[in-house]
Amino acid sequence: MKTETKILGAILIGTLVLLVGGILLLSRGNSGPAGIEGASVSQIDYSKGQKIGSDSAKVKLVEFSDFQCPACAAAEPSVRSIRISYPDQVQFIYRHFPLPQHAFGRVAAAYAEAAGEQGKFWEMHERLFETQSEWSGLSKKEAAEFFLKITGDLGLDENKIKEQVNGNTIQAKIDSDLVEGRNLGVNSTPTFFLNGRKLTLQRFEDLNTAVSNALK
Amino acid sequence: MISSELSNRIIFILSLLGLAVASFLFYEYQISGSIVCPTGQGCDIVRASPYSRFFGISIPILGIVFYLTMSALAVVRTQLFSFKIHTLQLLIAVLGVGFGIYLTYLEIFVIGAICFWCVLSFIISIIVLLSVILARKNL
Repeated sequence: MKTETKILGAILIGTLVLLVGGILLLSRGNSGPAGIEGASVSQIDYSKGQKIGSDSAKVKLVEFSDFQCPACAAAEPSVRSIRISYPDQVQFIYRHFPLPQHAFGRVAAAYAEAAGEQGKFWEMHERLFETQSEWSGLSKKEAAEFFLKITGDLGLDENKIKEQVNGNTIQAKIDSDLVEGRNLGVNSTPTFFLNGRKLTLQRFEDLNTAVSNALK
Repeated sequence: MISSELSNRIIFILSLLGLAVASFLFYEYQISGSIVCPTGQGCDIVRASPYSRFFGISIPILGIVFYLTMSALAVVRTQLFSFKIHTLQLLIAVLGVGFGIYLTYLEIFVIGAICFWCVLSFIISIIVLLSVILARKNL
């Protein structure tokens, strides 16, 4: 056998070993539908965030999310089904975690909060995720117009929205969510905490399994 | 034209590089968070699109198989360089680049988002094909 064959062969075998090892490690780390075993309970400030469901609910599901994040939009059907299926047993809390690489993540969060001031956070939340692909590629001015149009469609007071979006109250709220998220070790979106335990989800459908297990 | 040895070494090294990119994407496709992507959110959009799978198989797995085959053939070629091996390399490389053209077309014209890692893998596969073509056929 030629020396070059030996060298290249050895490198290839080494790479294969690393690859197989990596895949095994990855599949072990993701064992179970939703990995919550071993995750420690984080102290989350449940007084903050937009909530659906009773404060005395047995299960509290917190999501750190970004309206411009495609994965968050992909997770939305699973999250919505939980909000609908367990209105009394589960309290769902939405916290903002706009990522720096998303130009309008923070602006969208501010519009949702402004809509929330007029009692329509969840309607705005739903519309923002539904239309994500329509506004993600717009210019800054066009995106702001797009968001204003949605608030208009929802029958909200446009002047109030414009005034509140850049107001200190809403900006401070988003900042406080970001700070708490970072302190909790959130580094990607969506990140879910189920009764304070960070979830590692392989598929978003596993969210339902994790919630129903917690309700048992 | 480049020498057969040089061509083969380029194919081997680039195939390992391509393997690293495909493995990274395979890992990112398994987890739910945002993908580290120098072109903004393109990678997330491409992953979330229905085109992230080909007949049920995750695209990064196809990439891993492609680069593994190319690097294994490069090892075989150091021992016996026959016309058959070279033709097989050419055939697989053409298939790889052809598929890459299809995927890049989807990204630009159908999905409307660019996934940096997919394009990087596409460029690597083009250089691999060029190395196969440019190799002097000193059989």
